[in-house]
Amino acid sequence: MHLPVSKRGGRTTDLIRKQVESELEKGDIGCNVGCDYYPCHFEGQNCSFCYCPFYPCEDPVMGYFVTSRSGKPVWSCEDCLFCHRNEVVDFTFGKVREMGLKAGDPRFLTEVFPEAKRRFWHRGKALMVLGATSDAGKSITVAALCRIFHRMGYLVAPFKSQNMSLNSRVTAKGSEIAMVQVLQARAGGLRNADAHMNPILLKPKGNTVSQVIVEGKPFGDYNVPDYYGKFVPGPGIEAVRRNMDFLKDRYDYVIMEGAGSPAEINIYDADIANMRAAEVADADCVLVVNVEWGGSFAYAVGTVRLMPEKDRSRIKGIIINNVRGDPDRMRSGAEKLEEILGIPVIGIIPHMSVDLPSEDSEAFRGQMSKGTGSLHIAVVKLPRIANFTDIDPLCMEDTTVEFVDTAEGILSADAIVIPGTKNTIDDLVWLKGNGMFDAIRSMRGKVPILGICGGYQMMGRVLHDPDGIEGTVPGDTAGLGFFDNESYWKEYSKRTVRDRCEMIDGGGEVEGYEIHMGMTDVVEKPLFRMTSFGRKDEVEGSVREDEMLYGTYIHGVLDKPAFRKKFISMIKHEGKTVSTGEPEDYDDVVDRNLDLLADGFEKGLDMAALKRIAGVGE
Amino acid sequence: MRSILFLGTSSGAGKTTVDALYCRHLARKGLRVAPFKASNLSLNSYVTEDGKEIGMGQAFQAWACGIEPTGDMNPVLLKPSGNGRMQVVLRGAPFMDVGRGVPFPRDEVMEKVCESYDRLAHDYDVVVCEGSGSPVELNLMDNDMANIGMMRARGIRSVLVGDIERGGVFAAIYGTWLLLPEDLRPLVKGFVINRFRGDASILEPGIRKVEELTGMKCLGIIPYVHLRFPEEDSLSDSGGRLGDGSIHEEFVKNLDELLDAVEEAGIDFDALDGFLSA
Ligand code: SF4
Ligand code: SF4
Repeated sequence: MHLPVSKRGGRTTDLIRKQVESELEKGDIGCNVGCDYYPCHFEGQNCSFCYCPFYPCEDPVMGYFVTSRSGKPVWSCEDCLFCHRNEVVDFTFGKVREMGLKAGDPRFLTEVFPEAKRRFWHRGKALMVLGATSDAGKSITVAALCRIFHRMGYLVAPFKSQNMSLNSRVTAKGSEIAMVQVLQARAGGLRNADAHMNPILLKPKGNTVSQVIVEGKPFGDYNVPDYYGKFVPGPGIEAVRRNMDFLKDRYDYVIMEGAGSPAEINIYDADIANMRAAEVADADCVLVVNVEWGGSFAYAVGTVRLMPEKDRSRIKGIIINNVRGDPDRMRSGAEKLEEILGIPVIGIIPHMSVDLPSEDSEAFRGQMSKGTGSLHIAVVKLPRIANFTDIDPLCMEDTTVEFVDTAEGILSADAIVIPGTKNTIDDLVWLKGNGMFDAIRSMRGKVPILGICGGYQMMGRVLHDPDGIEGTVPGDTAGLGFFDNESYWKEYSKRTVRDRCEMIDGGGEVEGYEIHMGMTDVVEKPLFRMTSFGRKDEVEGSVREDEMLYGTYIHGVLDKPAFRKKFISMIKHEGKTVSTGEPEDYDDVVDRNLDLLADGFEKGLDMAALKRIAGVGE
Repeated sequence: MRSILFLGTSSGAGKTTVDALYCRHLARKGLRVAPFKASNLSLNSYVTEDGKEIGMGQAFQAWACGIEPTGDMNPVLLKPSGNGRMQVVLRGAPFMDVGRGVPFPRDEVMEKVCESYDRLAHDYDVVVCEGSGSPVELNLMDNDMANIGMMRARGIRSVLVGDIERGGVFAAIYGTWLLLPEDLRPLVKGFVINRFRGDASILEPGIRKVEELTGMKCLGIIPYVHLRFPEEDSLSDSGGRLGDGSIHEEFVKNLDELLDAVEEAGIDFDALDGFLSA
């Protein structure tokens, strides 16, 4: 753990020296899997120097200065991976023995660190995955490559300069980034994704205006012309450069994801999600085409040929993705494509069905239900639904999860989930207009009902929005009245925080994050008690056990088995037996599927070609 | 007799709809129009009044033309029968099973296809043809019938339909044009961008560039609308019989509305009229 410590010595520095002293005595301990925070950086990290013998190295490719509460500059090692690399630890212990070093010896900084850096530090290499269409399979390919490089033992980070998404997550530092980059980071063995991996997040607000989030914090609202005219050439491209540099200083590989097609020649120069980002990162690229709809060769040829020469030369390989049936039937076409473009086809990837959280468009293109289990869970398909990946873990149980937008769908359900929304008030008005509001009210006490975030706010008595911050029309709106809580929107501000808590009535732990603008005065019995550091006296959520009503602000509340099992176990009618399998962490399911995904890609990829492009072993 | 062929940059690009719209446009002008698709790969078929099995899309296009569907409008129907085998329905009647070592007798079948086409061409003022999938699948192009097969056999002029919804539409249109055999490129006169949402002026620079690179003309941008062909819906469960015919009346009514909307949005069907092959 690298706690920021006062630069000018004093008590804290003494403390570090003591820690380092005992670390030097213990020797190489490898991964400290027993530590609560493991892996605080990356899977397989060496924890021998939890406290760093080089502190404070003041090397800007490792750490940076932050300002302490008393206003003093303090050297922060929070994002340094260097001293957790096995080779660095090994080398350092060698020197300790050879030179007879003790904690606090100045030669750590004057001799050992410079030599370790010369030997083991290098700027990482960026590889970029482009897609010929928005559904080419870029995100999945990046995730697969992250896992593949991670398995080879490299430090790898995902990167998407600009992501437009309604599915975001809150990082350990309270930054908001796209869900997909968090998933890809996990594929790379990183449990703590951060805002560097998705420096620009666009959250569509409707009417062609988006909230622009830069490095995890709200930056401003932009319409399309202003975004391309003002944001992109200034703060936009700077954010891409700054964060790309940051990652390259720390990781061996940065696997970048493009957005949409890189050959939208009508906005080519203003597109910082594709070739401009590749240029800033000096990335070599692979182009992914999805064969599902046909025309993939044309898409590949058109994409490459529409680019100016300087960009075209970055494309080092083509991946033909999502092939159903015998992959060999694509072989003859792939050979012709290579001949026409002079770019090798480095992979023919079969269609795979893996269970991973899915991004906006894919999940909603046609697919209205998931699973074939006996319990029918209705998820209210709010028009401005957000963070609906919250629902995914329910599919691990014996369930059919269905997105419903009619009263009938509600009335036939065994359980109801009201998910989050970009606009609670407007969606509540929508519910009232189509009969679902009354349908949900009529199910009170008959089936378990869970509201998450916006859905939780709707379950209260009344929602106050006097200034129209949330809704289109200012004023009060009556909620479902399941709880006596009242929610209000007082100012344009946002709460983003990660929560770790336990169920008050016992049953286990829950982890997740809150992202919301409105606040709620809770008068009901709370559902969770915080266990996060320094927040032990806080509670969260509302519950009326006898009526099977549950509400919480915590996204990801269903990820850990504790609450999910509880919710499912409340379903009991018409003699339906609730068989819930082994309690499993959704994260473990995700990890297993990431491995399956990487296996599939390894089989379909020409690994030698990939390694050549990536410069593996150079 | 004149004709035109709508090619798609991918399957689902919207050929069937654009084709039907154009059929309707011509029919409303008082011309005698017939639809034609050399070959269809589909399990959803329609049985014509004289007992011929054809693709559902051509049946609806025929109604858009104000005529009854016939077997000639879709002379080849390929019905996957599992295990890599395929039943070939030729001019409405089962012809043979192919796959698993039994090759498709392309040239023999193509001859029959051309006979059907010629008959329609003789009987109608205009034949509006639809391609199949993408015309430039590098692994399949040599055996193509519905796309470059017909272009070559009858010198039919064509229009490309690209779908912008998934992005990369300029690449799709340019790439398709590039991969067409050089001698056929001059036959492709224009392109249409389908399923667009938002302010179309943002596309202008891209459209100009593709026009410059290829010599094709952009005939317009079709706004995002849901006109689904019944074959994509549960209606296909009707086993080819659509009962009392009210479904296709409903369809033609929708089509009329869409056509008005599309013409208002600036689709230049009159320019298209000028492209018709003599
Ligand atoms: S370095 Fe290892 S021991 Fe130290 S906090 Fe991180 S995971 Fe725990
Ligand atoms: S090497 Fe890393 S951990 Fe050590 S002092 Fe420098 S920044 Fe901190």
